[in-house]
Amino acid sequence: MCGVCGCADPKSEVSMTNVDTGATQLLRASGQSLADAHAFAHAHGLPHDHLHDHDHDHGHDHHHAHDHSHHGHSHDHSHDHSHHGHSHDHPHDHVLEQHPAGNHVALEAAILGKNDAIAARNRGWFEGRGVLALNFVSSPGSGKTALLEATIKALKDQVAISVIEGDQMTTNDADRIRAAGAPAIQVNTGAGCHLEADMVAEAARALNPAPGSLLLIENVGNLVCPAMFDLGEAMKIAVISTTEGEDKPLKYPHMFRAVGIVIINKMDLAPHVGFDEAACRANIATVNPKAEIIEVSARTGANFGAWTERLQFLLAEAKARF
Amino acid sequence: MHELGMARSIAAIVEEHARGRPIKGVRVAIGPRACIERDALAFCWDIVTDKTVLAGATLGFIDAEGDTFTVRDFEIREEA
Repeated sequence: MCGVCGCADPKSEVSMTNVDTGATQLLRASGQSLADAHAFAHAHGLPHDHLHDHDHDHGHDHHHAHDHSHHGHSHDHSHDHSHHGHSHDHPHDHVLEQHPAGNHVALEAAILGKNDAIAARNRGWFEGRGVLALNFVSSPGSGKTALLEATIKALKDQVAISVIEGDQMTTNDADRIRAAGAPAIQVNTGAGCHLEADMVAEAARALNPAPGSLLLIENVGNLVCPAMFDLGEAMKIAVISTTEGEDKPLKYPHMFRAVGIVIINKMDLAPHVGFDEAACRANIATVNPKAEIIEVSARTGANFGAWTERLQFLLAEAKARF
Repeated sequence: MHELGMARSIAAIVEEHARGRPIKGVRVAIGPRACIERDALAFCWDIVTDKTVLAGATLGFIDAEGDTFTVRDFEIREEA
């Protein structure tokens, strides 16, 4: 079943470490899912007040109709009407429709609804401050952290940058980001194979990114699960490297369909590993014709200006909406 | 992939709406682009519901459109 990412480990804990202060905070205890976590415990949006609202409206209408004659009677009538609504078997269910047998309860509740609700709140928070939040996804080892390090070094004198790092274990990546000159929060997902919106909400609260700044979120290295979990980012950006093979977009189409930009990293190695650039571009276009493609080498800095210029353009857009 | 967390979310949604009533079965609607492996979800469902109020509740699947992934409905077990 879950051998791909190991998230079946019931002893999983999620924690967050501020590498500036060394403070670690537990985000989820062992075995807890987002559904149990404190954030947005009542976030499901089903209309549970509908039956009650309906009753009251009826009562009021009736009351008004009789207003000019006998006040006593109109009161009785409105009570009778409201009993209509209560004659259902389970009047307090969060129900859209009930089967005549009374044993079926229709829900149509989005299973990722809680994550999506928190992600929407994150997105509003970012947009309200003109913060450009970007969610970087890739397989492990494509050079996400090296790309972020180089980005920080190139832009830190022009724009405030903060970083949320997602990994199952260690604060290695957040330590690297901090050394590159940006504040970073490390989220350790334990056995979890992806970041979720509540983790980003907590980390963003701790980082408190300045208005008009850049918030770079490095997801757990995994091209499968992070595609499903909206974090509230303005855009997902996939990083693939020339050493991985040109067919990654075909193998993981869900992820490549979800991104706005694909960065092809390690272009300095392309001649040595026989990277077929045209095939890679064609494969990306097959699953996501709209994706922009930027080729760079984070290590040598080759063509890095194309990426930082694109980033500054996106940031200017975010600020303009702010 | 992440079916264990999904199974926990389904269980939490159903438990919240069941409010203590015994549950016979739950049906989830899954679209082809939901990235959900049904066998894995069924496997995780049994683990997640074991020794809970949902123990023994079946998990059924309904084909849906696009990336749909919802709890469609559940059935309350008749008390003997």
